[in-house]
Amino acid sequence: MTPKNAPVLPLDFNIPKEVSEIKGRDGETYLQFATHMTTFYKQTYGEHSRFFLALRDAKLLGAKCPECGQVRVPAATWHCPACNFVEMKEVELPHRGVLAATAPITIFPSASFLGEAPFCRGYIDVALDAPAASYLPSRLRTTTGLPRPGIFVKGVELKLVFEDDRVGSIRDIFWVPVSEVPADLLDKEPLYASELYFETPAQPEVEASAEGEEALQAALAAMTKLATDAGKSARATQDLSNRTHRLGIHTSGGDFGIFVTDGSLRVEPGMPESPDFVMVTDDPGVFSAWVDDGSLTDAVVEGKLWLPHRAAFAVLPALDRLPRSIRRDLRDD
Amino acid sequence: VEATYWDLFQQAVRRATEDAKMTVDEIDSVVYGIYNDIFEHQAIPESSLTGVIGMTNKPGTRVTSGGATGFYAMRTAIMEVASGESDCVLCIGGEKATDCYDPRSGTATPMVIDTIAKSWDPFFEYPLGATASDSYMQMCMGYDDSYPGDIGDPLVRAKIVEILCHAGNRNPYAQRRDETVTAEQVLASRWIIAPFLRLLEACMYTEGAGAVIFASEDKAREISERTGVPPIWVRGMGAANESYAAGRGGYYKPLNRIVSDRLAAERAYAAAGVKPSDIQLIELHDAFVAQLMITMGEIGFLPMGETRRLIDDDIICDTKQMADDERPGDGKLLINPSGGLIFGGHFVGGSNMFSMWSARREMVNRQMPLALVHGTGAINAVFGGAMVIELDEGGAQ
Repeated sequence: MTPKNAPVLPLDFNIPKEVSEIKGRDGETYLQFATHMTTFYKQTYGEHSRFFLALRDAKLLGAKCPECGQVRVPAATWHCPACNFVEMKEVELPHRGVLAATAPITIFPSASFLGEAPFCRGYIDVALDAPAASYLPSRLRTTTGLPRPGIFVKGVELKLVFEDDRVGSIRDIFWVPVSEVPADLLDKEPLYASELYFETPAQPEVEASAEGEEALQAALAAMTKLATDAGKSARATQDLSNRTHRLGIHTSGGDFGIFVTDGSLRVEPGMPESPDFVMVTDDPGVFSAWVDDGSLTDAVVEGKLWLPHRAAFAVLPALDRLPRSIRRDLRDD
Repeated sequence: VEATYWDLFQQAVRRATEDAKMTVDEIDSVVYGIYNDIFEHQAIPESSLTGVIGMTNKPGTRVTSGGATGFYAMRTAIMEVASGESDCVLCIGGEKATDCYDPRSGTATPMVIDTIAKSWDPFFEYPLGATASDSYMQMCMGYDDSYPGDIGDPLVRAKIVEILCHAGNRNPYAQRRDETVTAEQVLASRWIIAPFLRLLEACMYTEGAGAVIFASEDKAREISERTGVPPIWVRGMGAANESYAAGRGGYYKPLNRIVSDRLAAERAYAAAGVKPSDIQLIELHDAFVAQLMITMGEIGFLPMGETRRLIDDDIICDTKQMADDERPGDGKLLINPSGGLIFGGHFVGGSNMFSMWSARREMVNRQMPLALVHGTGAINAVFGGAMVIELDEGGAQ
C-alpha cells in the first residue's frame, strides 16, 4: 500500500538539471540536456465514479444492458454501444470469478512500478450468467509466496478480495485462487486482505533424495569457486558492495547458506542461523546453472526456485550479475 | 545520440527522393506517422519537421494509431492519391524513443516502457502496471490456452528468430544487421514475461525514420521511367480495430485471437481479388515472434493452431540459403526478409514503411508479383492493417 499523503511523483524520481557530454558511435562528442515532460492531473473519474465509490463500499458494480443482456464490468460505460446506446442498469456482481486466460507474470516492470515485481495481472470473467460480458482486469495474488507459472491459468476459480484501506482505485481489489481461501471464508462477502495470510506463506516441502545430494555437492563446489572468483573481480565486488545478506536454502540434497557481507560472498553447507529468508528448490542444480552464466531470477520465474516474498526477489539481480561480472573481469581478457 | 528526430526524418526523405530520382518540389502533400508526443518531447512534432523535410506550404496530416501508426499513415497517403486530391504524397514516419531516462535505474528502458504503458487508460488498466510486452503476451498465452503445443514450443520460436536474424544480416538498413543470434542463444536468454517471452524473442524498440512515396498511375510511370525500376501498385488494403475492452461474446476483444489481423487481411484480399495462396512474400509486423506465428494463422496462411508448420514443414524461407534474386519454391513463404522489427528495429510510426520498402526491394529483386504488408498495434493487439501490393506487369518477367 502507498503511504498516505505520499507525493504522486516520488521525491527520488528526479534528475539534476544539466547539460552533459556524451560520445556518439562515430566517436564524436555530442551534448545532451536533462529535462522532463511532466503533467500533474486531478483527473475526474466522471461517470466511472459510481464504480469506484462502490469499490470503497466493498461492492463490485457492473452495467447491464436491458436489451441484449450484456454486462460491462468494470462499469466503464452506462449506455450500451451494441443497442443504440440504450441506458444500462446498475448490477452488483458476485465476488467469485474465473480467470479468462492464463495470465502473464511481469518481471521487468515500467518505471512507475519498479519494486513491485514479480506481479501478475489478468482478466477475470465475473458476469458468468450474462450472454456476453467484458472481463475485469485486476491484480492476481497468491498466499503461497510469489506468483509463478501454474497458479494463474485459464479457468482457475478466483475469489475477490478487498484491501482493508480503500481509496477509490482499481488497486483496492485483487483476486486469489479459491483453492487458497479457507472454507469458512469462501462465501464471505466482502472478504478483506487482512483475513488472509500473505505475510508468512507456508514453505513448500521437498523430498530428500540421493540425486539431490549429488547435485548439491556439485552446486556447492561451483558456488565456492564463484565466491573465490568474486573476490578477485572488481565488478563482482562492486555488485556486492554495501550489501549484507544471510540467505538460507533448503533443497532435496540438504541445506546451505549464502552470505554476503560488504563486497564479498561466502557459501557454506547447513542452514544459517536466523536467515533473512529461506529459498526452496527440488533441484540444487539451479545453483550450478546460476554459476554457469545462468540466473536465479529465471529459476524463480520458471517455478524451480521458491521464494517467500517480494523482498527476496529484489535480492536476486545482484547475485545474477556475479557470473557475468566475473566472466568480464577474469575470463575475457 | 548523433541525431534528433529532425535529422532522422530528413535522412529518410533524402534517401526516398534520391531513390525516386526526384526532388521534394514534385511532392504535393505529406502524411506523418508519429505515434506519440512524449518520445519526441514536443506536442505537434510534425510542425517543426515541415520546413526541415522540404514540405513548406504543402498540406500535411499526422496519423497516430499506436504500433500500427505506420500502416495507417500509408493508408491515409494512399487514400489521398486515390481520391485525386494529390498526385504525389510523401509518407514519412519515425520515432525518437531512447532519449527517455529512468532516474532510479539510470537507464532508458523502464521509462520507455512506462511511456508506452500510458497507452492504457488511467482508470482501470494503467494502475495495474501493464506493459506492452504483457499486453501482447496476454494474447499469446490466451492463444496457447486454446491451441496448446503450437506457439508454446520454445524451440520453434527460437528457430524462427534464427531465420529472421539471417534476413537482418543481409539488410543494410537493419539495426541489428551485424548480430548473430542462434536458436540456442534465444533459448538461453533471460525471461521478460514468464513463461512465454524471452529477451531475444522481442522486437527491438528503437529510433529511426522511414519514408515511402505514393503516386498516381501517371506520376508513378513517369518516376519509373526515370529510375528504371518498375512501379509497385497498391492492389487492396484492409484495416480493423477491435474493442479496447476484453471479454466474452458480443463486440468484446477475445483473448485467444487477433481478430483485427484476420479482418484486415480478409478485407485486403477481397479488395485485391487475391487469396493467401497467391502470395509468397510477407512483411509482417513482428512485435514478438509468438505474435508473428499467430498473425500468420489469422491472415490465412496456416490453420490456427498449426502455425508451427512454418518450421516443422520447412515453410519459412531462410534467406541465408537463397540467392538474392531467387524466388521461394512452391509452398514456401518469404517472411520478413528485412529481418522484421525484431532485427530491423521497431521505430514505431516508421517501421511499417520499412516493411513496405523491404517488400518492394524483394519484389523487384526476385521478380515476385505479389506481397502482403501488415501492421499491428495498441494494447492487446487490437489495431490491425494489411495491404496487398503488386509488381508492375512490365517488371514481372
